[in-house]
Amino acid sequence: MAISVPVEHVLYVAALLFLMGLAGVLARRNVMFLLMSLEVMMNAAGLAFIAAGAKWGQPDGQIMFMLILALAAAEVAVALGLVLQLSRRYGTLDVDSASELSG
Amino acid sequence: MTTDLVLFWVPALVALIATLMVITRKNASRALIYLVVSLLAVAVIFFVLGAPFAAALEVVVYAGAIVVLFLFVVMMLNLGRSSVLRETRWLQPGMWAFPFILVFVLAIVMFNVFAGSGDETKGQEVGPKAVGAELFGPYLLAVELAGFLLLAALVGAYHLGRRYLEERREEAG
Amino acid sequence: MLDLLWLVPALPLLGFLALFATEGKLPDKLVAVIGAGTVGIAALVALFAGREFLQSGEPSFSLSLWTWIAVADFQPSITLYLDALSLVMMGVITGVGFLIHLYATGYMWKDHQEPASYSRFFAYMNLFVFAMLMLVLGDNLLVLFLGWEGVGLCSYLLIGFYHRDAANGYAARKAFVVTRVGDTAFALGLFLLFRELGSLEIQQALAASSALTPCMATAICLLLLGGAVGKSAQVPLQTWLPDAMAGPTPVSALIHAATMVTAGVYLIARMQDLYLLSANAQHYVAVVGLATLLIASFTALTQRDIKRILAYSTMSQIGYMFMALGVGAWSAAIFHLMTHAFFKALLFLASGSVILALHHEQDIFKMGGLWKKLPVPFWSMAIGSGALVALPFVTSGFYSKDAILLTAYDTSGWLYWGGGVLAAGLTALYTTRMMVITFFGDAKTEPHEDSRINMWLPLAVLGVLSIVGGWFGIGVLDELLGGLGDFSHASPVAVVTMAVPLLGILLGVLVFSGRIDVAGFVESKAGDALRRFFDSGWAFDWLYERVFVKPFLWLARVNKGDVVDLIYTLTKSITRGLHHTGALTQTGRLRWYAANMAIGLIVVLLLAAGWL
Repeated sequence: MAISVPVEHVLYVAALLFLMGLAGVLARRNVMFLLMSLEVMMNAAGLAFIAAGAKWGQPDGQIMFMLILALAAAEVAVALGLVLQLSRRYGTLDVDSASELSG
Repeated sequence: MTTDLVLFWVPALVALIATLMVITRKNASRALIYLVVSLLAVAVIFFVLGAPFAAALEVVVYAGAIVVLFLFVVMMLNLGRSSVLRETRWLQPGMWAFPFILVFVLAIVMFNVFAGSGDETKGQEVGPKAVGAELFGPYLLAVELAGFLLLAALVGAYHLGRRYLEERREEAG
Repeated sequence: MLDLLWLVPALPLLGFLALFATEGKLPDKLVAVIGAGTVGIAALVALFAGREFLQSGEPSFSLSLWTWIAVADFQPSITLYLDALSLVMMGVITGVGFLIHLYATGYMWKDHQEPASYSRFFAYMNLFVFAMLMLVLGDNLLVLFLGWEGVGLCSYLLIGFYHRDAANGYAARKAFVVTRVGDTAFALGLFLLFRELGSLEIQQALAASSALTPCMATAICLLLLGGAVGKSAQVPLQTWLPDAMAGPTPVSALIHAATMVTAGVYLIARMQDLYLLSANAQHYVAVVGLATLLIASFTALTQRDIKRILAYSTMSQIGYMFMALGVGAWSAAIFHLMTHAFFKALLFLASGSVILALHHEQDIFKMGGLWKKLPVPFWSMAIGSGALVALPFVTSGFYSKDAILLTAYDTSGWLYWGGGVLAAGLTALYTTRMMVITFFGDAKTEPHEDSRINMWLPLAVLGVLSIVGGWFGIGVLDELLGGLGDFSHASPVAVVTMAVPLLGILLGVLVFSGRIDVAGFVESKAGDALRRFFDSGWAFDWLYERVFVKPFLWLARVNKGDVVDLIYTLTKSITRGLHHTGALTQTGRLRWYAANMAIGLIVVLLLAAGWL
């Protein structure tokens, strides 16, 4: 089963999802919410790829989505390890507390 | 055409609302549940757009694996009522002002870039067979690289997650 | 034996290395044996090699050791080149050098201002002999330059030998800096020569020199003259030599009288063919010589320090040599170089004995009446002075000076001859003054005679050489170099040349023993001003102080912050400012970075959409 909708509609949705994720990343100080927002952003990017694939009826879009999926899995694994370290070392989940790289 | 639009926009609206809830919640567990809803809605979009394999992966990997991983961490960190209070303190309404301006500008730019092509999706299903053939054909190298990436992530996560890292430091200090 | 010629410079080098490497841990007696012994054996080798060379009858002999550097066509070789000129130089350096080393073993014996100074002294002296031998034996101007700078270094080290006294360090630096001015000219001359002829091998360069344009030949000659003037303490770079007397007396004898300061004479004599191409350059050589001769002679008249008197007399005698080179009396110049090495070494060593006997007193007005108490130094001084004054027929100095003056008269007329004769009279006057005040009159300080065999033997040998050296010169050098033997001593010019020094002595005796009262003139205002003018060495030091030193110090003071450096400071400040600005963006806050990335994304999208 497949439907036929204007590609720009799908892209609008993807853009809105992406921007909401971005707003979350910028606004939240809790590192857990930050990572969730990041997931939303990557998912939105995946949606855009799927839309492109659907426009041409080709599998390449889905393949790019799968690569994003692998990236997201890897990112989450490492990032959650970092969250654990942050929580142990600073006793907080505030990303701004880990600002030792300031110039 | 109208049916198609309805079929698309219903899951799309669900995804958008659920995502809005994700980024505004104060309780991490609830936010995660909304995230699952959002991901499932997106999976439905994939399905109706003719990508059933991607939709399945979205459910299995994103909603299944990744979100569960998040839940594990939330449980390990034991985020309770105090964390919700802290979240309220951190999340002042003023905090949203600058991200909103930025996002608004980006939205205008993006919408203008996307608008007006008039193209439609083909309405043609691309099944797992076609995806698999393509994946292990021309994209084989990308698959290998993704494997490397996952291995590196595995090692990194293992190293970072070890508890005795800090214990050793305490011993030394 | 000629194939062993390389031993001559190698032995002193070995001595230097041995003394240098042991850092003064050797006992003093062994140091003396090494220091004087290596030079002594080198002198013996030089003697035998020289005899064999003379017997072979060849005009020159060269011994290639190895190639120094090989860069494309530029392949300076280390080759020892022996001909009449370098033979004389080698003989003087090793022979006189050995006698002075021998003397120094006694002179420096109780000189223990600090540990290991005895060993250090001989290490420097041996290094000097090595460098000087490379200077005269090198068949390549680059090797010559190596030796040239080497002797400059040793001169610096030995002038400042008593480095506890800041004044000695100042004298050493002055000598180094002033000679460096000349050396710069010398180096430029070498560059020019290499550019024009493509070779620094002396014989090749001289053979090819006829291809030079007259203008270029003059330029090269004048630049080389600049180097010679610096090293040989001629006007206008003469000011360092009197101050160089700060070193121990054997150093003054060896370096600043007998050998190193004559390096300039050697250089010009060696490059003779080049100077023959340029009458102008040759003329300047003569002018420099004559000017130095007169200035130094007048200055020596008023000095009180016995070593400074001798230093000025050295300058004037080298002035004679320059004048001889300038008027074309090459062989006479070399002849005078040799005899001067004998009698000036003798004079310095004898004055060293006097100074030592009087507990390092150098002011002649605090001496007096010493001739009975210090017979060996007195007779040595007397012989040396006789040679310096050129007493007719019995001294070596007479023959060489006569050869110079008479050749000058023959080739260049009365001007150079007249100047030379006037200076000869002045020489007689100041030498008589020195002798009379030092050895006669009332005793003012009680000497203690401390004469060992290693000290009086060199005096005796040099005394003999100062007398017979002239006949040797006429006999052997005339055969080698030519142009020395055929002077008639009966012509009016020759008689005047002979008589003036005698008159000078007579006048000196009368004035300085008080028979002629000149107190009225000396104490008058003009006399006092003249005395002070001469005493300051014709105010050259004063002049250079005003013209070079003061402005330089002023410039250094004004430019303390280094104006040129401001450019680089500015670069540094800008870089640092940019760095600080850049560092401001590094807040360490993750969300700040994310926001920046979002802004970047906006810009990129705008660019992609073509709105920017």
